[in-house]
Amino acid sequence: MQTKIITKIVGYIIIIFIIISLNFFLPRMMPAGPLSGLTSSTQPVSEQYIMYIVDLMHGDLGWSTTKNAPVWDVLMRSIKWTLLLVGSSTAIYITLGILLGAVSAWKKGKKTDVGLLILFISLASFPPFFLGMLFIIYFGWRLDIFPRFGAQTLYIDYSTAFGTLLDILHHLFLPALTLTLTSIGVIYLITRNSMLNILDEEYIRTARAKGLGEWYIIRRHALKNAMLPIITLVALIAGLVITGTIFVETVFAYPGVGLLVSDAISAHDYPLLQGAFLFFAFAILAVNFTADRIYELLDPRVKED
Amino acid sequence: MKQYKNNKLGLVGLGLLIFFLLIAVFAPYIAPYDPHQRFESTEHPNSEHLLGTNHVGQDILSELIYGTRVSLFITLFASIAAVGIGLLIGLVAGYFKRFDFYLMRLTDLFLTIPKLPIIIIIAAFMLPSVWNLVFVFAIFEWAITARIIRSEVLTLRHRNYVDATRLFGAKDSHILAWHIFPYVVPLVFVQLVLVSRYIILAESGLSFIGLGDPTAKSWGMMLHDAFAYPTIFISDLWMWWMLPAGLCIVLTILSFTFIGYALEEIVNPSLKRSPWI
Repeated sequence: MQTKIITKIVGYIIIIFIIISLNFFLPRMMPAGPLSGLTSSTQPVSEQYIMYIVDLMHGDLGWSTTKNAPVWDVLMRSIKWTLLLVGSSTAIYITLGILLGAVSAWKKGKKTDVGLLILFISLASFPPFFLGMLFIIYFGWRLDIFPRFGAQTLYIDYSTAFGTLLDILHHLFLPALTLTLTSIGVIYLITRNSMLNILDEEYIRTARAKGLGEWYIIRRHALKNAMLPIITLVALIAGLVITGTIFVETVFAYPGVGLLVSDAISAHDYPLLQGAFLFFAFAILAVNFTADRIYELLDPRVKED
Repeated sequence: MKQYKNNKLGLVGLGLLIFFLLIAVFAPYIAPYDPHQRFESTEHPNSEHLLGTNHVGQDILSELIYGTRVSLFITLFASIAAVGIGLLIGLVAGYFKRFDFYLMRLTDLFLTIPKLPIIIIIAAFMLPSVWNLVFVFAIFEWAITARIIRSEVLTLRHRNYVDATRLFGAKDSHILAWHIFPYVVPLVFVQLVLVSRYIILAESGLSFIGLGDPTAKSWGMMLHDAFAYPTIFISDLWMWWMLPAGLCIVLTILSFTFIGYALEEIVNPSLKRSPWI
């Protein structure tokens, strides 16, 4: 157990080192990387590298040429929107995915099950940006019931906090729906599969024989044991969802870090792109690390090992 | 084979994939024009241009047909390379105990690494080209395959017939090639399909945010152009410029999903199949 934890922590340290080094060396190696503003000095690379790490520790990520501001400040302005988008979608797709997966397993082979299965398999085949575009066309332009871009209505001063909140939720709805629908399939499927396996087990039959209610069995016996694979999976797809914001925010011009990525790419604003890259890489690592810990807490077998 | 024929979803998926592959291979014969040839810009669909023309006057139907080539080329080459690397590492790690520890730590590293952000940043700093995309995807997509192949090899290594062959003095290379490799081939195919599914999704996303090869446009790149056009949603342009390319991506992903589903049902009949990521 001790050595297992140590190899894991060493692994995380190596990955952090790789991410930071990649960020340093890429602009110096690649033919397309404009080096202006990055290597103005004639110092040897080793000294530049140390300088870079020291700057990084101070939160100095360079100067964004397109936003004309420090990259750090630009990131700080955008992070809240990305967190709002990822947070709300994650909450919805996990709850709904697990719930519907359980329902599907319970009704195996019936109309509800087959319908849900087809729906979620098809939705999982849509790239997030394409589904987002379809939503903009239908709900944004045809029906005109949702805003087509941004996170807030510009130049409108709501006097009440409630009005502001409603406006923010109104803007959040379509991007969050897009991210939720393209991510929910995986959670739904793994819940359905592990529930189907568990519903075959002896102790479920025993519980049925005892005359316990069907929903009680699903909730207390089956779902509880199906949780472990689900948690592993949440960590696995968290990376997919977090990077999914790059595409969704681009389509909806939602002012988070993901939009910064595509803006920076099209404007060749490399310092900004690198700053956003660090944000995404570390956010995913943090989620993976947390899920690892939760898994260890929940699974008694990991501890005994 | 016979089992696969009985699987309706698998057949639909295979049919779709073969359809797109045929289009990709015979693109020059099917496409009405050269995709770089320019006509009047943003023409509506008419008898000469069935799907109209784009912002610089290229025939959209021809772009779509050649785009099939680019999208599938990147997807298939990258997934073959990635699964190849994974297969090699999995075989070596599973069979030779002395390499196992280090190779598996390397695999763990690549499994934990936030690969999509890294792929994006590397692609952004390289000159956008089809081969560069193949290269980055191959480097970052092999780890899951390596893990799956390794655990299969571990169970095969000490089967009686393998031990017996070893007793007769067979070399390790002979055992690996003739008594272990054939048994992991089905898994390799499943991995090829699942990795392809992931790569075409990621490739379309990368191209959409502007990291595709502008000289060889994939479907994702077409969506990038269409989305950048100011009046794409206000006019009816999206119907023939955006929708067909998007639906082609969706159908290809769906075909990989169906094939993967059918193959897994055969290779791994218990319901503990991997979710599709």
